[in-house]
Amino acid sequence: MAGVVAQAVVNGLLIGGIYALVSIGVTLIFGVVKIVNFAQGEFVMIGMYISFWLASRFGLDPVASLVVSMPALFVAGVLLQKFLIRRVLGLGDMPQIFLTFALSLLLMNLALLLFTANYRTVQTSYTLSAIHIGPLYVGVAKLIAFVLAMLLSGALEVFLRATDLGKAMRASAQNREVAMLMGVNPDHVFGVAMGLSLALAGAAGSLLMPFYPVYPGVGQVFVLMAFVAVVLGTLGNVTGALIAGLMMGMAESLGVQFVGADSGLIVVFAMLLLTLALRPSGLFGARTR
Amino acid sequence: MTRTLCPSRALGLPVAALVLIVLPRIVSNSFAIDIFVRVLLFAFIGVAWNLMGGYAKQLSLGHAAFFGLGAYTSTILLIRFGVSPWIGIVAGGVVAMLASLPIGTLCFRLRGPYFAIATIGTAQTLMLLFLKFRNFAWGAEGTTIPYRGNSPMMMQFDAKAAYYYIALIMLAIGLAITYWIERCWVGYYLVAVGEDQDAAEAVGVNVPRIKRDIYLISAFLTGLAGTFYVQYIYFIDPNTAFNFNVSVQAALVSIVGGVGTLWGPVVGTILLEPTSALVQSWLGGAHGGVQLTLYAVILMAVIMWRPTGVLGVLTGAYERIVRPAPSGVAGTATAGPKGPLDG
Repeated sequence: MAGVVAQAVVNGLLIGGIYALVSIGVTLIFGVVKIVNFAQGEFVMIGMYISFWLASRFGLDPVASLVVSMPALFVAGVLLQKFLIRRVLGLGDMPQIFLTFALSLLLMNLALLLFTANYRTVQTSYTLSAIHIGPLYVGVAKLIAFVLAMLLSGALEVFLRATDLGKAMRASAQNREVAMLMGVNPDHVFGVAMGLSLALAGAAGSLLMPFYPVYPGVGQVFVLMAFVAVVLGTLGNVTGALIAGLMMGMAESLGVQFVGADSGLIVVFAMLLLTLALRPSGLFGARTR
Repeated sequence: MTRTLCPSRALGLPVAALVLIVLPRIVSNSFAIDIFVRVLLFAFIGVAWNLMGGYAKQLSLGHAAFFGLGAYTSTILLIRFGVSPWIGIVAGGVVAMLASLPIGTLCFRLRGPYFAIATIGTAQTLMLLFLKFRNFAWGAEGTTIPYRGNSPMMMQFDAKAAYYYIALIMLAIGLAITYWIERCWVGYYLVAVGEDQDAAEAVGVNVPRIKRDIYLISAFLTGLAGTFYVQYIYFIDPNTAFNFNVSVQAALVSIVGGVGTLWGPVVGTILLEPTSALVQSWLGGAHGGVQLTLYAVILMAVIMWRPTGVLGVLTGAYERIVRPAPSGVAGTATAGPKGPLDG
């Protein structure tokens, strides 16, 4: 019994690394640009298709294709900010919600038109291999994904704390007006925040590819997790999103293990509702709103 | 919408009503009638959404929850207990309404985009739950509604026109409720909440209560639509009843038509639904995703260039061409008077 629980926790923690990457992206955009990107999952999907394409066309290892998917999505994020998001900032909730929501619908259905609904996988030499740690099986592909996800999250944290641009980003997350008075260029900061956020989504996609099938709707799985994790980890809090992402992974995995194979999402939504009922400002937020 | 009454408008409504009433007698093509029924139904759902999302700006993306609850309530009553869907449709509305209380209590703790996400979450959770209810609600396979021939008492008709009239009456009820709300204090309060919750609270609006009440009404109406839809297509499964597209369409038709206006959802549906039906029948089922791609592009275009929706554009053009706009009355579609809370 303890072994089963431990195995479920380990599996959940590993996939939770991916959820954390997606969640950090969502919370970063929310913190800095003050919008919720409903299309974040679709950028995971695009990252996966990029890796799939590079793997099937050029035999490039999906994890190595990070070096393509991350810059590509960084550029996509900067352009998205420049041409779409910038135009609805400050217009209230409705345009902001429905712009990124429409973008999500558009990308998902374009993918459906272009790539069909078929599930596509990439087989790597390590897709099926696992290492044994005591009584536990740890999938190598998932372990690689987890370790790289943690490294990337750590790198973002260092960037936010140690570099001028990162500090400017945190400053505008805390108080946009004052940051602008201090000479922070909001267009520049927002563009980089969008770019970084989408690059993380792209990274999540590439890291998933060795052990997860890609299909047009795949982003929905991750974006729902991310939204719950972002609420749980307090809106706009990067560290909170990281921890909550890992928790979501474990909760889902335990749900699948003990409630039923199709119950992972029920557990996730139950966590969302519990969070809302008990602690609407999240684990790391102040009690008052 | 502007509230001035002019003769053309006073005459317009009865004429439009007359045209709508005789329409199924003139057009007997069943494909066309099917499109009319869908237009009326989705306009009705849009009207229900608009009460909350348009006036109070509580942007729900989970109205499929109420649609599905309405659909399942009447179907379970019909098949398990032999209760007529005429009773079931009211029961469905009431169940949806009751469900909106706990859902609202939880979701209203969040604002703006996170309210939208929480509503998506509740609708998805309900779908997953109904997938699990194998014994009571037929699980993933769903069930067909037993066909008993033409039996008006059981809301089953051979003539499609009958469904048309039911949907027309539902839409008329929805519009009447909206019309009434727009003109009484509830409407002013809703717009105040939509503009700025904190400011509304500060001037004495009981914000939680007004949000709860409008959610009740909106959920009730959406529940009615759910029952009607199941009776119309003779089939139910969790994927049909709690389909995310229902939530999307409800919001979409309102935004495209003109959010927070009486006729916005109707105008939006008249534009979108026939277009998508024609595109679908033209391309066949081969190209999954065309319909939603089209919707997404339209939605983005409206948000980027015409946030007041089609109705806002039309009203603006009308005011410019027909008569110079009286000072102080803007031709925008952002619903009703903004100031008179203190009066």
